[in-house]
This record gives sequence, structure tokens and C-alpha cells, in this order.
Amino acid sequence: MTDDIELALTTTPGPAAVATVTGEIDLHTAPGLRTRALELIGQGHRHLILDLSGVGFCDSAGLSALIGIWHGAKEAGGSLTLAAIPDRLMRMLTLTGVDSLLPHYPSTAEALSAHQSAPGPA
Amino acid sequence: MPEQASAFEDGVPGKRLHLVPDEVVEADRMEAVRRYDILDTPPDGAFDRVAALAARLFDVPVATVTIVDEDRIWFKAAHGLDGVSEIGRDPGLCGSAVLRDDALVIPDTLLDDVACGNPLVTGPLGVRFYAAAPITTADGHKLGTINVLDTKPRSITSEQTATLTDLAAIVLDEMELRLSALRTVRQEQRAAEAERAAREQAERDKAAIASFASTLQRTLLPPALPTAPGLELACHYHTASVHDVGGDFYDVFPLPSGKWGLFLGDVCGKGAEAATITSLARYTLRASAQHTDDPVAVLEALNNALLADVWAGSRFCTAFFATLTPAAAGGFTVELAAGGHPPAYHLSPAPPEAGPATRTRVEAVRPKGGMLIGAFPGAHFASTTRHLAPGQALLLYTDGLTEARTSTGAMLGDEGLTAFLAARPASCGAAQLVQDTVGLLDALAGGASDDVALLALSVPTSDQTAAATRAGSTAHTTAAPAGEEH
Repeated sequence: MTDDIELALTTTPGPAAVATVTGEIDLHTAPGLRTRALELIGQGHRHLILDLSGVGFCDSAGLSALIGIWHGAKEAGGSLTLAAIPDRLMRMLTLTGVDSLLPHYPSTAEALSAHQSAPGPA
Repeated sequence: MPEQASAFEDGVPGKRLHLVPDEVVEADRMEAVRRYDILDTPPDGAFDRVAALAARLFDVPVATVTIVDEDRIWFKAAHGLDGVSEIGRDPGLCGSAVLRDDALVIPDTLLDDVACGNPLVTGPLGVRFYAAAPITTADGHKLGTINVLDTKPRSITSEQTATLTDLAAIVLDEMELRLSALRTVRQEQRAAEAERAAREQAERDKAAIASFASTLQRTLLPPALPTAPGLELACHYHTASVHDVGGDFYDVFPLPSGKWGLFLGDVCGKGAEAATITSLARYTLRASAQHTDDPVAVLEALNNALLADVWAGSRFCTAFFATLTPAAAGGFTVELAAGGHPPAYHLSPAPPEAGPATRTRVEAVRPKGGMLIGAFPGAHFASTTRHLAPGQALLLYTDGLTEARTSTGAMLGDEGLTAFLAARPASCGAAQLVQDTVGLLDALAGGASDDVALLALSVPTSDQTAAATRAGSTAHTTAAPAGEEH
């Protein structure tokens, strides 16, 4: 059983970065995810796109981590965008209304192109 | 220091025998004797064999291994001496030998000024020959002696004297072994004792934590639901662990102008931190409801309160807040606001066209767009209005219910809960609804792994109201806030 979570930086086009999350986001792994994502933001990737296609499970601690990352990105003058959200996680985001605040796209490519065509600093 | 000389000193004139021990030396010696913890211990094969060996080597009828106590000489082993376990510290034989650094040899006791008066010499044993070597510890304390005795005078060679000294050394080795074994046993006993004490402490701590958690839990839930005229109320609370305070909360309370306020929510997380949020949420909701009629404004106040807290942005909750206004035509007007919470269910008797399997019409009530509370500044909340008519019920719950696992390991889910509610008899009031839902939870193989809070309200029909009035109450509380586990 792997109870670790991986966060892999896949592309770095300017201040935007795509990071792929793999694993289960729960009470044990959520703090690590939050820390590593905030590190990426701190390293200048302030517009962070998280590809969640590899996330099998996400509980309220995971939700808390996503919100923490959103706060961190906002403080850094950046943004958090979610891509390829698994159904169960999407239901949770919808239920909690978090989906109305965090931009989300069916795929990383769409998230990236939407981000690049968005007005304002990228 | 008073000294007396013995006439026979190993054949070497000039060597003097100390008959009265130095007080300091004696105190240290006794401390060493006690350290070995050998006095009055039962016979031990090893010492018996050394005594037997000494008797054979010296060809004497009696050989003993003695330990010298403060006021007696105690026999650890006695070969050829039956029924004697100790003698006095009379000078002459053992009592003198233990004060010397080397072996004491008395070829003929009757010719020795001191030994001749010893009871072993004057008594029935009639000892004539005596030789002894002190049992000396590595740090120089003389614990006792090994002795060979005969009823005939005799002389021994210096080689034999050396053998006796070696035997005394063997006795000491045995005592060291014994002491080391004793120490190991004592250490093990101490370790076992420490482990037992630690286990007992852990049990006490666990009990204290459970008691603390249940006490704290009770402060976070209403002691009993109020009696609201025309309304039947019931609730249930189950914490997943007796050692942790749950994060679910609910309350029902009167508002000005004959209205009622109620809420049910779920703090993300558990334990002491969740308890602080639960407490903050409860009093904020209750207080805000006194100042505004708008349930959305009440949730906004909670959102602001949570964001102003030290945990700002990292601690949040989901909740329903509702106001109940008695309707002129009977029943209640329910204005319900939600923040990120799973839907509530509005239950009413199913119309005949719904088919025989559906006895209750189940409608999910969830105002669109209500966000998680306490996570985002300016989060928006939404409300919806329903009429709760006589014979209808409203069920609010936390997600511990829908996340409970069935026998296949799948979660009950909204679908499972809806199907269960639809198949229930429609006429049941809030108490029966909660009781049935708890029954469903108990029947699930996996049970609830998270906290579960249930709050149901129903409006009795006129028949039911009459029955309830006869029963004297319309409020039912099935809460188990004291952390009882199923």
C-alpha cells in the first residue's frame, strides 16, 4: 500500500507550472502536498495548475490542502487551477461550493491554454 | 585498638590475631554481606559440594561454609554437622578467622589460648583441629569463612592451607554468580514492574481522555432538544471514537416572535482543534440568529467569525441553518440556508401513483451554491424556502451517514439513503425517522467510521398531535453525546 503522494512538475512555461498529483490525498498525505505545492509557488511558479487525474481518493483534509494552496497562490499574486478532476473529488468540490471559486478544466491542456489566453499577468 | 595474641599462628610466631573488629571495617563488611543477600537463604547445592570437597580433601569429618552476621555465624553449608544452622560469634574459631586476611590454622585447639574456650571445643563436638580461610570479596570485605574441623589434633601443609584459600575463592565466585543472577532477576522484575505501571498509567490516561472527550462533547451539544409546540424533534449523535471529540454539531432554539432556529453542521477535522471551531460555530450561529431573520446572513456571520479566528482559512465547516415560522394554515415555513453541506431530505407521504415500493416521497433540499464556511472571505451562501406540512418531515444529517460502508465496502451514498427513506412508512414522525435511520446505520456491515449527527423535525397531523399531547411531550431526544459506541 502506498500512502505517499507524489507531486511532479511536468512543464514550466513561465510563471505557470503544471504539477501532476499522484496518490491518495488524506490526513497523512495532505500536509506534504500542501507544503510541496507552496514550495513550487515560492519558487516562482505562482500560477499553479494541478493535474488531479492520478488522485484516487481525497477527503476533507485533502480539500483543506487545496484551499491552503489556493490561499498561498493568492497571497503570492498567483492562482490555482485544477485539471482532470476525478468524479468523486468533483462531487466534493461541487457540494462544498469550492468549484465556484477554483477554476477547473477537463484536461491539463485546456487549463494551460485557458490560462495562457487569459488577460492579465501570466 | 585492643588486640590479643594467639599462641599458634600458622606456626609463624609474631603474627597477631585481631579479636575485636574495627567498627568502621565491620560496618563496611556487614554492608557487603547484605549486598550478597545470602543470609538465611535455603541450602544450595554448589556450597554443599564445596563443603563436601573440603572435607574429602582434608580428610576431616566436618567442613562448613559460614557467613558471619553481626552477632552470629550462619552456616550456608555444613558437611558432617547435622542440626546446626548457626553459632555465636565467640572468639577462637570462625569468629577469629573472619577477622584475618589469611588462613587461620589451629593444629590443637586445647593448646590455643583463645580457641580452647570456644563452645565448639568445650562442647559435645570437642573440636581439636581447626583451619579456616576467609571468603574475601574483590574489594577486601570478609563475608565469612570456609572451615575444616576434626576431633583429633593434626597439622596441615602450607599447600593444603593454599587449597583452603582456593576453596574460599571458589565460594566467593559462587556468591558472585548468585549475586549477578539475583541482580538480573531484580532488573527483570523492575522492568516488568515498570512496564505494568506504564500500562496502568496508559489505561488511566485513556480513561481520562475518554472522560474528558465525552465531557467536552456534552458541552458542544444541547443537553436536550426543546419542546416546540406543533413540532416533533429528534436527534442522534454518534462519535466515531470515545477518545476524540467529534466535529459534528446541531442545536434547536427559540427565536423572537415565535420562530425557531435550528442548525446542523460538520467541522472538518476532529479533536481539540475541531472542538474550538464547533464551540465558535455554535455560539456564533445562536447569537447571529437573534439579530437577523435571514439565514444567509447568519451563515455569513459564521464565515466571518471563522475567518477572524486564529485558524483563519485552515479550519472550516459545512452547515445548514434554518428558521421555522409557524404557518397560519398549519405546519411551518422553513427557510433553509446551506454552506457546503450535503442535502437535507424533505419527506412526505407518497402519492398513490408513485407505486407500492415508494411509500415516502423524498426530496433533496439543497440551496444552490452554498459554499464551505470559513474557507474563503466573501463566500456566498444561498437559501431556499419550504413548507413543512402536517405529516411531513425534514431530515438533516452529516456525511458520516452517507459515507458509512455497506457489506460490499461501498458507501451508502445519497442514493442508498434516498432509497432507504423512500421505502420507509410515510406516517412516521421525527423520533421514528431517527430511530429507523440509526437502525440502518447499525445494520450496515462497516458501520459509521466517522461521526454521525442526525436531526429530524416533523409536523404531526392533528391525530398525532392529540396522541402526543396525551403523551405529554412532542420532543424526542435520542442523542448519545456521552461518546457511547455501537
